[in-house]
Amino acid sequence: MSTLQAKDFKSSLRPIWCPGCGDFGVLQALYRALAAVGRPPHEVAFVSGIGCSSRIPGYTTAYGFNSVHGRSLPIAQGIKLARPELLVVCAGGDGDGFSIGGGHVAHAVRRNFDITYIVMDNQIYGLTKGQLSPTSPRGLHTVTSSLGSLENPVNPLLFLLAYGAGFVAQGTPVDMPGLAALVEEAIRFPGFSFVNVQSPCVTYGQESQQAKAQKQMMKTLDSLGHDPSDRLAAMGLAQQYGEALHTGVFYRDPNPPPTYDALVRERQRHEADGRTRDQVFELFAH
Amino acid sequence: MMPSNVRGLDFQSLSLLDALDFAVLIEEEARERYEEFAHQMELHRSPEAARFFWFMEGNEEKHRSALAAQRKERFGDAPSRVTRAMIFDIEAPDYDEARAFMTVREALSAALRAEEKAAAFFAAALAVVTDPGVKALFAELHEEEVEHQRLVMVHLGRAPADPAIHPSEFADDPVAID
Repeated sequence: MSTLQAKDFKSSLRPIWCPGCGDFGVLQALYRALAAVGRPPHEVAFVSGIGCSSRIPGYTTAYGFNSVHGRSLPIAQGIKLARPELLVVCAGGDGDGFSIGGGHVAHAVRRNFDITYIVMDNQIYGLTKGQLSPTSPRGLHTVTSSLGSLENPVNPLLFLLAYGAGFVAQGTPVDMPGLAALVEEAIRFPGFSFVNVQSPCVTYGQESQQAKAQKQMMKTLDSLGHDPSDRLAAMGLAQQYGEALHTGVFYRDPNPPPTYDALVRERQRHEADGRTRDQVFELFAH
Repeated sequence: MMPSNVRGLDFQSLSLLDALDFAVLIEEEARERYEEFAHQMELHRSPEAARFFWFMEGNEEKHRSALAAQRKERFGDAPSRVTRAMIFDIEAPDYDEARAFMTVREALSAALRAEEKAAAFFAAALAVVTDPGVKALFAELHEEEVEHQRLVMVHLGRAPADPAIHPSEFADDPVAID
């Protein structure tokens, strides 16, 4: 059993989120998941982009990088290559992940870095005061869609499954024990893991996305008898994103392939085998 | 049935040492949550609600230290197998109970719901635990939670009525919606 406590991951910086924000619960679930995993804070690197939820690295005692909008995944991949022994966790919002940084997700997934990506999906740009985000539902009235959005939302679950992610889950801070368990499982998964968290924005979020509504809507995938090793079944359930709130593991690859970081290390060992430093440099000269 | 806000702890085999450690952590979690709420209220310019949450924070700390002293007296420095990662919002008010511009009455109501939640937890746990010492401790804690509810109700009775215009009405709406 881990001797680490949740409070070992809590920094002295106080969150400045709006009272009632779902991200408070996500942060608590993260502290508890990290304590359960048992890696000390100096062995954990937290990377985020920009947004309310991207403030998370500052609220932990782990190494943290509140980086550039939408660029948490490329930075996290760099960290994992340079320091493969670190446990690398990315966090951000739906805008950061699926709009500004949307192009990076597919490549992080197909490379299969051993990184955990947690998206706090509130279907709105909260930090900048309530603009339409990539996961906002069609018809939503916001400050940038005063007559109602004409766009269909991105479905993060379906995206990640289609890109080939080995671990795809969804949780909510309304069920903090369930969320902590999902984050812990995602961190332990050997490969790219994704947790979509339906984290209510109490200031600009829709009524149907608030904690009270989530408590009514939430249904665990276990209770539906879902087999998380069945990717096609997971895709079927993921299509209900925005209409139903399914929580739990959608997909867990029963035979995870080697990660990119492991393959790189293997190649480095192979190419360096018996060669002098100059001979290794010579490989790149042609 | 195991309470859903506890992970990795078998209530049927809970010893008195485990139960005391568990009770201390419940109070610690509640104390921390009220402290967080007090800070949130201060940050969002609701000083009356912040004062009430500080008052609750002090109460929870008193309960925590009394239980910790009881644990020390009975079991000394015996190692604990219960951790905070195992408990979730048993007496601590849920995060979504906090709101910007909370009135004192709203803060009191949030605390009342937290006390009701804690009483319901111990009532459910009493049906599962088997150790007589643990049963007695949980029964005592259940009674305390019921008493706390009564005290919060008394405060609610004395609290000033909410203003006719709620403080949140003074907050600016997003410009484009006007």
